Amino acid sequence: MAEIVAAFGVPHTPNFPALVAKQGPDCRTATLYAEIARHLQAARPDVLLIYTDDHFNTFFLDNFPIFAIGIAEETSGPNDQTAMPSYRVAVQGSLARHLRARSIAAGFDLSLAQDFALDHSIMVPLHFLTPEMTIPIVPFFINGLAPPLPSSQRCYALGQLVSAAVADWPQDQRVAVIGSGSFSLEIGGPRIPPGERAGTPDPGWAERVQEHLEHARVGELVAEATPARMAQAGNIGGELLNWIAMLGAVGSRKPVFIAPETEHGHAYAAWRLD
Amino acid sequence: MSIYAVNKLCRDALHDLTFREALKRDPRSAIAGLSLTEQERSALLNGDVAWLYERGAHPFLLAYLTRWDLFGLTVERYSERIRAAHEPASRE
Repeated sequence: MAEIVAAFGVPHTPNFPALVAKQGPDCRTATLYAEIARHLQAARPDVLLIYTDDHFNTFFLDNFPIFAIGIAEETSGPNDQTAMPSYRVAVQGSLARHLRARSIAAGFDLSLAQDFALDHSIMVPLHFLTPEMTIPIVPFFINGLAPPLPSSQRCYALGQLVSAAVADWPQDQRVAVIGSGSFSLEIGGPRIPPGERAGTPDPGWAERVQEHLEHARVGELVAEATPARMAQAGNIGGELLNWIAMLGAVGSRKPVFIAPETEHGHAYAAWRLD
Repeated sequence: MSIYAVNKLCRDALHDLTFREALKRDPRSAIAGLSLTEQERSALLNGDVAWLYERGAHPFLLAYLTRWDLFGLTVERYSERIRAAHEPASRE
């Protein structure tokens, strides 16, 4: 039977690859991602299950799912002109198919993507965590950008259901779960700073989220992450839902590593479950 | 509903290099064939991103326009205008 051995939360800011290429391996972004990569390698996962929000690249507003899963042999990215190398990566289609069937049976009606590429929201984390692209992924899409968003309760319940479904996938594989995104971020909306195209309007909320994570107060976090609260944290604040779905696997465990960057509205965190 | 065409235009500016070049060269001609109301058309041509935002254009997509200063939207000008925008009644 499969086992979830670790969970991670990371930001996916699209300028990170170019920033690190310019500033080198000692800059803060490189150091923090390297720390997460060390924890990931130590957990020896065979599969990465990644919760993310597509930024209108894999899907568009003509047909935009609340929840979707990617089932294919492989995929590629980035498909959104992010300044970084292009990669191909295997998809663990058997697990994805199993998770889709279990989710739908439990009332989570996942949309299906079979011919797709991925944007920076998955490719930036993979670029830093597994640049050899040797670990197959399962991409799990949650709408965090186009209101109305799914509720935090719904995303947490989905994460719990998926976590249980991984445990009865009849393959002896080690699975790591990743939640990708920011807690406070505004792009192109009224709360950006003068002269900028993006900003962090609510670092206080990012700090509160980080404290809930650090002290394993998942119930409080889910209760407080209402649509209005997340919207107040910025028009990209719904990316917290990717972390909340990931926490469905973590439950009340405390992280083995957490580094806040509240001034940037995000954090890096790692949990061991084995 | 045609605010959808505004969102689509922004996405196409990112993904379709030929369309992006046409927008740089002659924005009025480049959007002539799109299904837009006259108000939407003139808001685009005037770079009135606050008006478009208030009618439901998605800010993540609108902000693409600043990457190539389309419709005269430098980052500075975009920021100044969007910061004066009110929240839209709905968005889809």
